[in-house]
Amino acid sequence: MGADGGGGGGRKNSSPAAKPAEARVGSLLAGLPSRGNFVSDNIASSMGGLQVYVCLHETAPPEGQVIDTDTTNILIRSLQLSKQKSEAKDVGSRTPGESSKGKRSASRISDGKNPSKRPNTGSTAGSSSLEETSVFSEQTLQSFTDELIARLIEASE
Amino acid sequence: MLCTWRGEVPASLLLTSSRTLSTLHFPAAAETAAEMSVWNYVVTAHKPTSVTHSCVGNFTGPNQLNLIVAKCTRIEIHLLTPQGLQPMIDVPIYGRIATLELFRPHNETQDFLFIATERYKFCVLQWDAEKSELLTRAMGDVSDRIGRPTDNGQIGIIDPDCRLIGLHLYDGLFKVIPFDIKGQLKEAFNIRLEELQVLDIKFLYGCVKPTIVVLYQDNKDARHVKTYEVALKDKDFVEGPWSQNNLDNGAGLLIPVPAPLGGVIIIGEETIVYCNANATFRAIPIKQSIIRAYGRVDPDGSRYLLGDNTGILHLLVLTHERERVTGLKIEYLGETSIASSISYLDNGVVYVGSRFGDSQLVKLNLQADTSGSYVEVLERYVNLGPIVDFCVVDLDRQGQGQVVTCSGAFKDGSLRVVRNGIGINEQASVELQGIKGLWSLKSSFNDPYDMYLVVSFISETRFLAMNMEDELEETEIEGFDAQTQTLFCQNAISDLLVQVTANSVRLVSCTSRELVDQWNAPEGYSVNVASANASQVLLATGGGHLVYLEIRDSKLVEVKHIQLEHEISCVDLNPIGENPQYSSLAAVGMWTDISVRILSLPDLELKRKETLGGEIVPRSVLLCTLEGISYLLCALGDGHLFSFLLNASSGDLSDRKKVSLGTQPISLRTFSSKGTTHVFASSDRPTVIYSSNKKLLYSNVNLKEVNHMCPFNTAAIPDSLAIAKEGELSIGTIDDIQKLHIRTIPLNEQARRICHQEQSRTLAFCSFKHNQTSIEESETHFVRLLDHQTFEFLSIYQLDPYEHGCSIISCSFSDDNNVYYCVGTAYVLPEENEPTKGRILVFAVEDGRLQLIVEKETKGAVYSLNAFNGKLLAAINQKIQLYKWMLREDGSHELQSECGHHGHILALYTQTRGDFIVVGDLMKSISLLVYKHEESAIEELARDYNANWMSAVEMLDDEIYIGAENNYNIFTVRKNSDAATDEERGRLEVVGEYHLGEFVNRLRHGSLVMRLPDSEMGQIPTVIFGTINGVIGIIASLPHDQYVFLEKLQSTLVKFIKGVGNLSHEQWRSFHNDKKTSEARNFLDGDLIESFLDLSRSKMEEVSKGMGVPVEELSKRVEELTRLH
Repeated sequence: MGADGGGGGGRKNSSPAAKPAEARVGSLLAGLPSRGNFVSDNIASSMGGLQVYVCLHETAPPEGQVIDTDTTNILIRSLQLSKQKSEAKDVGSRTPGESSKGKRSASRISDGKNPSKRPNTGSTAGSSSLEETSVFSEQTLQSFTDELIARLIEASE
Repeated sequence: MLCTWRGEVPASLLLTSSRTLSTLHFPAAAETAAEMSVWNYVVTAHKPTSVTHSCVGNFTGPNQLNLIVAKCTRIEIHLLTPQGLQPMIDVPIYGRIATLELFRPHNETQDFLFIATERYKFCVLQWDAEKSELLTRAMGDVSDRIGRPTDNGQIGIIDPDCRLIGLHLYDGLFKVIPFDIKGQLKEAFNIRLEELQVLDIKFLYGCVKPTIVVLYQDNKDARHVKTYEVALKDKDFVEGPWSQNNLDNGAGLLIPVPAPLGGVIIIGEETIVYCNANATFRAIPIKQSIIRAYGRVDPDGSRYLLGDNTGILHLLVLTHERERVTGLKIEYLGETSIASSISYLDNGVVYVGSRFGDSQLVKLNLQADTSGSYVEVLERYVNLGPIVDFCVVDLDRQGQGQVVTCSGAFKDGSLRVVRNGIGINEQASVELQGIKGLWSLKSSFNDPYDMYLVVSFISETRFLAMNMEDELEETEIEGFDAQTQTLFCQNAISDLLVQVTANSVRLVSCTSRELVDQWNAPEGYSVNVASANASQVLLATGGGHLVYLEIRDSKLVEVKHIQLEHEISCVDLNPIGENPQYSSLAAVGMWTDISVRILSLPDLELKRKETLGGEIVPRSVLLCTLEGISYLLCALGDGHLFSFLLNASSGDLSDRKKVSLGTQPISLRTFSSKGTTHVFASSDRPTVIYSSNKKLLYSNVNLKEVNHMCPFNTAAIPDSLAIAKEGELSIGTIDDIQKLHIRTIPLNEQARRICHQEQSRTLAFCSFKHNQTSIEESETHFVRLLDHQTFEFLSIYQLDPYEHGCSIISCSFSDDNNVYYCVGTAYVLPEENEPTKGRILVFAVEDGRLQLIVEKETKGAVYSLNAFNGKLLAAINQKIQLYKWMLREDGSHELQSECGHHGHILALYTQTRGDFIVVGDLMKSISLLVYKHEESAIEELARDYNANWMSAVEMLDDEIYIGAENNYNIFTVRKNSDAATDEERGRLEVVGEYHLGEFVNRLRHGSLVMRLPDSEMGQIPTVIFGTINGVIGIIASLPHDQYVFLEKLQSTLVKFIKGVGNLSHEQWRSFHNDKKTSEARNFLDGDLIESFLDLSRSKMEEVSKGMGVPVEELSKRVEELTRLH
């Protein structure tokens, strides 16, 4: 009875006076959008079967359209972004052109202070998380807890 | 004699109310003695039908409007036309579809389709109308290594201004796939989302920055919405323009409103609220309901259709003035299936997709019907899902089962009778001995309906006609020869009728019924076989003479006469060219050299001769065109059938195939059903031959031996067939021509467990009805009894309040000849986590009634029951318990506990074989127990130590067991009885793993098809499964060599048949759960393998080259596999 009860109830809701309700609903249903389909007097119940699609062509997407997720930890990414912003300000005040952050980070790795096991090749503007993790200033890194650093390493691997 | 007959016929041929012939009698198939194996072949017999998503847009062309429907692992694309919905293609997807969205990238003239799968793959598809191909525009993997999958399902949404795709897949994370200015997708990134319990997320329309609105629940269970702007550059959220706290406790659905109105509608259980950035707030109360689906009607967003959990369709109207929403209105429209998706199509027609019942095409009418409904159902699309349980009923013990499913949920619950083959529903019949031929004739050439039925006997011909009362009565056609056997009859041009007898061809006027012209067989010769069409007659006399006549100006003109070197056994000149009244080819079957020949007309020149081989004479030839492809069919005297592709202009034959349909001579005839031509093969195992996807398919008919058939299309019963069986003539209508035939028995309540009892010729099932009063909700549970043939309801037993039926079996006990239904129940009390009390009820069927014989209380839910060594085995919560059937002194019986076995989390499924018991546990996979008679004890022998959450188990044989689990995988385990150590013997070794992508609720031995004793496939044992999405599938155990062969074919095919959207077949079929992913093994994907038959000849040849096996052999072996289902 669940459905019937619900149905009855629904109807009751809108039919204290049956005729006005009908007129009301009718007017609300007036002017349903139509773009020329389903106009035939008797809409065919079956218009043939569905062809099964057998995919025999190459399906690889165009170059660059195999999408992955940026694996940088959200916190690190936000730190990087704020770092970039502040650097962008700095750069603005310094000699234009000398802006590669990659080089600085590479030099830091060679100091052996970065706990990362992977050597940074110093490539510029890479989106790889590892390269960018090394953008942190020494101070920032010092302020990190052991646990956080461990997570950063994990996230960058 | 004629007189008595004349008196009797009309009465007995009265068109009776429809009665289904449901008995099937075929020669018994060989009992399948073969054991099952670890090498399994999985194939779909019935595709998923449960609709999860639908959307409408210009996908296949800028000016084509499409409906796209997702059915879990498939999408269907339809075209909207003035005449209705035109199906286009059905696309398999290598994944379970989690989201489906159409969107229009900048500078594009048609929509793209975004699909994300539950295993975190996505693709963007574009339709290439020129090649009719689905191009992959982008694809990728959106999984994260760390993250808790969302409880409320995956959300995938696309910014209306096409700046980004948003995904909510893991709690606390919102994933963004940005578009660049050219519409290309860029690397995705995650944004931290503070709200952990998200119920819905949508993009708002008309925002300068992409803005989402999030509906969530806080840790005090209150619900709120909040907006965020997505800052693509900063890869972060910026607090949005507005929020709204403390919504309806049942708020669960957001509907964003298009610009210029903008804002969002929040659907609750008791209120519907509209709010936007300008602090406009409108609310209306609604009668308590849970809205599950919505569909936007107007592009400006002023009207919406809402579907609730009871199947009620409502209209929601946003009233507005000067681009400001002024109020909300909601109106009841009517009832549909319980909707999972609603897509407004056009001109008041709406697609209602359902997971719980049939999906529907409905029309919204301005005026209510007598029941107050504005909804008119135009069409129903069968949905078997969710299949909660099923049983296999082999009514005639022929090895061919029909499957009876517990389908649908809540008010849309039903039983569905699924069988392979085509049913003839007899409308009238009369006893009539010795029919030698049947033809129908129209009263004039252009009459759409047939009028006469010509019935030929060994030494006479009788004519029946439809009278004014739609009855058949005997009549006369004066110009016809009634004193002899008729060989052929036909309506011809110029309103003439043709009759061919052994002596002559007669031409008779339709109007006067008098003889107009006659052609006589030469002295000393009689006509043996003949065929005719509207303007041509071809006949053969003894001595290999072939005579070709044409009807010109109401005269029979002998155009050509040749003599062939052998006797002629059959002829045909059914027109297959462009002219439906004239054929330029004829087919002739020959004795002696056992050949079939194609001759040109009118000159009777040999175009092609095909030797059939063997010693069996062709008995029937037929030229026909099915789905635009011309064929020559040639049937032999031993039940075999050859098919050839026929080039209608050159007469060339190709693609020769031979199948076995029966054991007796076959006679072929075309007929038409719903405007499509098919072929009926009369024989001891009548078969309908039809074309689907441009392939010939063979479907058996639910009739015993049929000698002759002719179409008999009358106004009273259109598209019907006249059928001559041994001693009987009947008129029947034919089911839709499709491989599986499904009959629905609506219940208006949900069936959960079903069982067949052959002895009482009944089915019994457990079901429940949801009662909703204004105050409270409750359920009433029943055990119901049905006749297994008529499906008439016989008896009902109502269970106690809170008592649920959990299991049902038919069984008998030692020292008792009766057969009983045993029902296991549980008292499901609101305050208990697990039931602590249940019952076992033993019923006898007496006079079509359920009589309760014995009841036994249990200490928990009786999840499963099995007949076991003349006793009753029950799975009760954590325990397996064995009961003896004891006779009391007073002559009554009781169930007495004998022994048991503890140690399960919840023993949900049990199967037995001999003394062995296999248990499927809630979360501890499969274990094997054994019953020791001497000790009267049940002990564990071995178990699978993986933590699989089981949904079904079955024993393939003594050693190998199959299980299905809740991550949509199936796997097989093997008993290690020969292992060296106890430790190894105690472990069930996992031998096969496969991702089915479907949630299996039941596995049962059985077959949907007749086992042909002469076919190799007849020996292959099969298990049937049923799933939540309405899939019925087959698992077949193959011999090792065949498995190896098909495995090679599968790996070759993967190179040719790509995954749509570049999704990988290997990844899709890999066993996958929370803990591990491992490559599929010892299971083959039959759906992929059988798509070999859909390949073009040139592709087949490439595959054949790759395999080093001839195309013919590949086709033959794959075709044999298709006959498993």
